[in-house]
Amino acid sequence: MKPFFSQARLTPYLFLSPFLIIFCVFLAYPLYESAILAFSQTYGPSHRIWVGFANFKNMAADPDFWIALKNTFIYTLASVTIQLPLALILALILNQPGLKGRAIFRLIFFLPSLVGLVFVAMMFSLMLGDRDGLVNVMLRGVIPGFPQEFPWLQNYVMPSLILASLWMYVGFNMVYFLAALQSVNQDAIDAANIDGANAFQRFFYVTLPEIRPVLGFVVLLSVIGSLQLFELPFVLLGGPGPERSGLTLVMYLYQNGFERSDLGFASAIGWTLAILLMGLALIQRRLSRNE
Amino acid sequence: MQLSPGSWSILALAVLSSIALYFYPIQHHVGTSYWTFSLDLNLMYEPAIKGWNDSHPDPEEQVTTYVIGTDPLSRRLQSGFLSGTPVPDLTDVESSMAANFFSGPLDAVGFTDLTDLVHKEGLDKKLNPASFSPWTNRGRIFGLPHDVHPVLLAYRADIVEAAGIDVSKIETWDDFVRVMSPLMKGPEGQRYLLNVWETNPRTMEILLLQAGGGFFDQDLKPVLNSDANARVLATIVTWIAGPKRICVNAPDFDAEGNYLYLHGEVLCSLMPDWLSGIWMKDLPGMSGKMKLMPLPAWDKGGLRTSVVGGTMLGIPKRAPNFERSWAFAKYLYLNPELARAMFRRVGIITPVREFWSDPVFDEPNPYFSGQANGRLYVNMAPSVPMRTSSPYKPLAVIAVNDALIRLKHYAERNNVYDEAALEVQAHRELETAQGVIKRKMAANAFLSSTP
Repeated sequence: MKPFFSQARLTPYLFLSPFLIIFCVFLAYPLYESAILAFSQTYGPSHRIWVGFANFKNMAADPDFWIALKNTFIYTLASVTIQLPLALILALILNQPGLKGRAIFRLIFFLPSLVGLVFVAMMFSLMLGDRDGLVNVMLRGVIPGFPQEFPWLQNYVMPSLILASLWMYVGFNMVYFLAALQSVNQDAIDAANIDGANAFQRFFYVTLPEIRPVLGFVVLLSVIGSLQLFELPFVLLGGPGPERSGLTLVMYLYQNGFERSDLGFASAIGWTLAILLMGLALIQRRLSRNE
Repeated sequence: MQLSPGSWSILALAVLSSIALYFYPIQHHVGTSYWTFSLDLNLMYEPAIKGWNDSHPDPEEQVTTYVIGTDPLSRRLQSGFLSGTPVPDLTDVESSMAANFFSGPLDAVGFTDLTDLVHKEGLDKKLNPASFSPWTNRGRIFGLPHDVHPVLLAYRADIVEAAGIDVSKIETWDDFVRVMSPLMKGPEGQRYLLNVWETNPRTMEILLLQAGGGFFDQDLKPVLNSDANARVLATIVTWIAGPKRICVNAPDFDAEGNYLYLHGEVLCSLMPDWLSGIWMKDLPGMSGKMKLMPLPAWDKGGLRTSVVGGTMLGIPKRAPNFERSWAFAKYLYLNPELARAMFRRVGIITPVREFWSDPVFDEPNPYFSGQANGRLYVNMAPSVPMRTSSPYKPLAVIAVNDALIRLKHYAERNNVYDEAALEVQAHRELETAQGVIKRKMAANAFLSSTP
């Protein structure tokens, strides 16, 4: 029998140790610490009171939490139901054989995702100004009698956020779909063609099943990204917006953790968000396994 | 052991970067460090700091300023207080960031408690008493006030006077609406009298404080649902919506707001002294067109000013040499030259009462059509309302602002623009707002630690 500290026993652990050390220091310990924090009220590291489930109870009793949850879900739903179908339609158009300038169009649609959320938010805040924003000036030029003031960022916060994110992310998701479409088996499409399938039938019975793994992946990415929404409303509205109509879960966490220094409460929000994300990822996994 | 060339390269890079990092010179700070959040303030401080440094040649006493943006300064300071990372010897703190520093137990406030020193050295009498209020928490003073920030009403004198309107006849807000309303139909279309909007909590706060309302009493208990607050919210709703609308949204520091002012589409603005300085810099096109007057009162004989914003000079508890920092703080904030520079450069009047007679405040200002804007602000300085430093103030402002937005929706939904009827509903909305703040305060176990 080999001695417990023999070289043969230790070698694999030695090779694993860099990862294990980094994992423990930067992931496992912070996770453990944040789990403890979620059950505490804190003011810096030296002031901590164990409060049990009070943070979660206070969160559930706080109308702001429910507003943030509602806003985040509306945005997520819009991302999945508006953004992704649009991206797929664009990808299908750009995937047409014989389309001239495909590379240019692909670049044009993809470019907005390169500029960064903060820039997009600032640009849209100028475009959506109450009186003299570009959008209102254009609409006044096109629609006779369009009001002098149309407060997009006051009364139409969520549509404004969705519009800005559409502009930014449709092209990004389109690239995923385009890559998936280009790997669809052409023989199967040709066979469907010979069998007399029309364009819709070819899409729903041949193309869609083939791109389903990518579709699932993009949906999951989109859901996770949407649930983590922060910078866009934070810059576009300069905060949560009127009546917190742009408050998201991550902004709610930021406000409590970093503006009010209650890291315990912020950890409780963080864990709630993490559990939510894990639940959605599990559902997505279960659905894709069933398929 | 056989390593590939790639592995050797990575190893070499790792070793070289470690050596470089080890020998990278780390600047160890010597002397007194002073953080401020405004480039303008820093430029203003420069001559005074040079004077201090010239008369204190010891490197330990030399003062160096660091300009750090408001948000990063607040976060770095709070991180320093809570986790022990470096903090300055002195720092300017803006009122919007102050609440964060007072939300824990009293002994965890990162600033030195100056209460006894302020009383012992008579600074509470030397400086405008109301100016201490935003920096006084649970009875303890944590900073020296930098300003007073009274509020006046700025108006487009060129348009108002051309219409033959005598603003001296305006005593109350009712007078203001009655006298100025004929100006709402301009030669180029609709004009508005005032920049007040439900998305601008600063203007709401100015009006609430002027009317005797506010957010917390001196014991830091929430008093959101007061008659004064309900009255102000109801009045604001009649100003921003419905048939008697007189206001428009002209955001400050914003191209759209500036456009409205420059084109005469909004005639008046609630103008704290600091904002007048910003206008002089950012809106040169308004020079010679503007004048200032006291705010119309809510009732005859009522308060003709209000207050908003503010800065304090704080000394972190971990400052290595408190006496040195305190000596410099007094040198700087009680410096007559600085008081003059502060007014000339950024339009802010000093809280040091003995400097209020300085001729600098009597200088006519071409921007304000030759008025001595300094004297107008100084005249109002003793009357500015007291404020509180509750850590829940930012939340309370948001809660009251939400009440205002809901009240406006209520008015629009029910077509109710009668102030008395709106006041009843305003009380309901304010009660909801007060409940929200009370619940949040009750959840804070640290606030119960009183001195």
